[in-house]
Amino acid sequence: MKFLKLSILALLFPLLTAATAHKFYVSITKIEYVAEKESLQIITKIFIDDIEDALQARYDESLSLDSEKITERDLAFLKQYIFQKIEIRVNKNPVTFSYIGQEYETDIVKIYLEVEGISEVKTLEVTNEVLMEMFEEQQNIIHYKFGDSRRSLVLEKEYPKGMLNFN
Amino acid sequence: MKFMKYLSLALVVMMSGTAISQDANEGKEDRKPGHYNENRFKQLYEEFSTPNVYRTASGAPGPQYYQQQADYKMDLRLDDKNARLYGNETITYTNNSPDVLEYLWVQLDQNVRAADSKSPLIEGSGATPADLAGNFVGQYMGAPFDGGFKIQEVKDTNGRDLPNIINQTMMRVEMPKDLKPGEKFSFSIKWWYNIPDHTIDRARSGYEVFEDGNRGYVIAQFYPRMAVYNDVEGWQNSQFWGRDEFALPFGNFDVNITVPADHTLDATGKLLNRKEVFSKTMMQRYEKAKKEYTTPVQIVTEEEAEAASKGFSTATKTWKFRAENVRDYGIATSRRYMWDMMAVKVGSREVMAVSVYPPEGNPLWSDWSTKVVASTLKSYSRMTFDYPYHKAISVHAKNQGMEYPMICWNYGRPDKEGNYSERTKYGMMSVIIHEVGHNYFPMIVNSDERQWTWMDEGLTTFVQYIAEQDFGEAYPDAIAPNKKYPSRRGPAKNIVDYMSGDQDYLAPIMTKGLNTYNFGANAYSKPATGLNILRETIMGRELFDYAFKTYSQRWMFKHPTPEDFFRTMEDASAVDLDWFWRSWFYTTDYTDIGVKEVKKFYVTSKMNKEVREMITRRGMKESDLPPLVYLVEEDSEDFEESMRTASLDDVSTLQEYIMDNIPESERANLKKPKYFYEVTFEKPGGIPMPIIAEYTYSDGSTKRVTYPPQIWRKNDESVGKVVASDMEITKIMVDPDEETADIDTSNNSWPKRKKLGEFDTFKNKVKGQ
Repeated sequence: MKFLKLSILALLFPLLTAATAHKFYVSITKIEYVAEKESLQIITKIFIDDIEDALQARYDESLSLDSEKITERDLAFLKQYIFQKIEIRVNKNPVTFSYIGQEYETDIVKIYLEVEGISEVKTLEVTNEVLMEMFEEQQNIIHYKFGDSRRSLVLEKEYPKGMLNFN
Repeated sequence: MKFMKYLSLALVVMMSGTAISQDANEGKEDRKPGHYNENRFKQLYEEFSTPNVYRTASGAPGPQYYQQQADYKMDLRLDDKNARLYGNETITYTNNSPDVLEYLWVQLDQNVRAADSKSPLIEGSGATPADLAGNFVGQYMGAPFDGGFKIQEVKDTNGRDLPNIINQTMMRVEMPKDLKPGEKFSFSIKWWYNIPDHTIDRARSGYEVFEDGNRGYVIAQFYPRMAVYNDVEGWQNSQFWGRDEFALPFGNFDVNITVPADHTLDATGKLLNRKEVFSKTMMQRYEKAKKEYTTPVQIVTEEEAEAASKGFSTATKTWKFRAENVRDYGIATSRRYMWDMMAVKVGSREVMAVSVYPPEGNPLWSDWSTKVVASTLKSYSRMTFDYPYHKAISVHAKNQGMEYPMICWNYGRPDKEGNYSERTKYGMMSVIIHEVGHNYFPMIVNSDERQWTWMDEGLTTFVQYIAEQDFGEAYPDAIAPNKKYPSRRGPAKNIVDYMSGDQDYLAPIMTKGLNTYNFGANAYSKPATGLNILRETIMGRELFDYAFKTYSQRWMFKHPTPEDFFRTMEDASAVDLDWFWRSWFYTTDYTDIGVKEVKKFYVTSKMNKEVREMITRRGMKESDLPPLVYLVEEDSEDFEESMRTASLDDVSTLQEYIMDNIPESERANLKKPKYFYEVTFEKPGGIPMPIIAEYTYSDGSTKRVTYPPQIWRKNDESVGKVVASDMEITKIMVDPDEETADIDTSNNSWPKRKKLGEFDTFKNKVKGQ
């Protein structure tokens, strides 16, 4: 199974163009466990045009993530989508995260989320299906950091869920 | 200066004092095994190919450098109704190598899309518990797209069939007799293929269907074409799996393209029969465009394109082109295309900047595409060589970004009302800059993309950053309210996320593209950022630009390898770069440099503990020593409070020396530092970047000192520097401008400052609102 996943990773997309901007469908989610605060700090970076397409298709064609002044309605849709598509389990128990906010950086939106009250991380299971219903080849990369140690997961449509074990 | 000599002697005594005590402490450890030379500054002799008569140690083409030539005479016919292309070509292949060739390899890229293509087979997949009905039908029940070349004939010039065998995307053609050095061989191929809808499976060429049913064609990889034969790979016949791009020889193309008479067409090469295919109006506009340097001239207007779109001509026109010294060929054709052109001076040459786009691209495309093309040509030319072709075309195609000689496809489409976001605008400008830039790398500096994606993508992306900044300066209206073009790739700190990631998912740049994870960062951003660091920080712009230009000019219209690039950059600049190529290109090492600790020292003429111990050990007396100046650490037992306020005038040995040896007239010129620090820098990361240290003094002033990377040559983990200063140092900051891609800046300041992370910074900002 691991080999299969690695071979998927090794061959990102069969027909990649030579473009500058993302002709590859990837999102990056950084999760850092801050022991002193007992919290998981999560920043997920998604290409704005992709997620806007997804939200428009899902909720309303007029939805716009484009300006810094996002409407209350559109923000509610964005939050709903994120809560539906990302799921986290710590030590086998599902946890809720709070939505801190979002900010824009050229063609990417950075969404800040936080899980509090985590005294220890023995196992971490992440499901991230953002954009997978829109793009077959969407890959959601998860970078987990705790102190100096770093681990990663690459999630995709066939395997949208990954687990890290620290025992 | 003798004073300095004594000071350093004191240091040596002090330092060696510590070293001696260390030796005494080293116990009986197990003997370590022997090892290779693992020094980070080791030259790349083992990694590089041995220089030879084809490629010199300097990084230039050698005295017997050769390259093959492939000339094409083609007749093409587009069947617009069925989206098919029919072709007939005669290939003349010249063997300039010293080798006898037994067979030829011809590339059949469309076969990656054949119904029986193995490309989908190299993708892993898992069974999903449920699937959309549509997906299921497409995957298991539907007929796959009938792509791939249908080769009808492969014949020699006498009309006799040539034996051949097709291995997926490569065809081996057997010649009637071996091809000797210097000989030419001509053969012809007749073929057709179904042009794919490139918006469905994101091919690099094909067509898009507009709402009115018309197609916009961007045609490439449309003909069986010669593979490269060279001194490094033999035949470059590595299969086309879809990701890595192309290796192609140079040659001359004579192409006749027959399309519906109401199509607007542009392609690689000089249009030979303009009067036959242009209307009188178009000719007049064209003549005007040749003299217009500021604003593009419409050759085909939006109204004309819309009008043409309503028809479907059954008559045809044949457009005739000749392209010299190109490695490939691209064609854009549609009845829905508009066309504009503008002249641009590049050095002493007159070049036409051209854009081809459907009304769907407006107003963005009419406003900016051709201006971006013109600006890009100037920027890239400044960094390499004057653009040698006569035109550069930017074609609007949905979701595309792909390059061919003189012509490229670019995305950037406003919505139906003609509104576009900042993102769409900058996306379009950036992709046009990038794709037009590709004319330089690899269309002219023709590296092997099948093997080394980074050589063209990295270099093009690097110059793209410069071209973007240039464009922003030339057209402030285009980027307002931004003051600088918001470039995505370029600055060192933008690559930190990638380089600090999980090592299991990182591959060195010097890896075949097909096999890497995170392809975009690996082949585009990381090499581009590396070159930017060389330009801004390691070499400086003057040395870098000269060397980069040398490389570009040495290898224009030739085929360079990575070594040729690495060698040339060093050869032309006298900056040792092997350490940089090794760490940045050959490994997944990252930068992490910081200040480990800072010790304060005071000067005295009273002997300190270290020297006392040393002379005791050696059975010496104080009187045996020459007059010494001692440095005493603040935390040590020899320290006395009075030292804090003392100055160098109070150090008797120093004063005696000065009185006896320095003439009175010069005594006033002596510097009198009051503060002495031993700064220990540490390097938890692998890359031995220069240490850019900014010292802040008690009066608020700052001074920057850059210690060259060679400071790490004997001490890979940490290194100390003694700093003497008139004023107290209140802060030391390593890499204040974030130039070295340092992945952890928490150790970059002294005193240690806990910098608020990205998350906490944002959270505080939100709370504060």
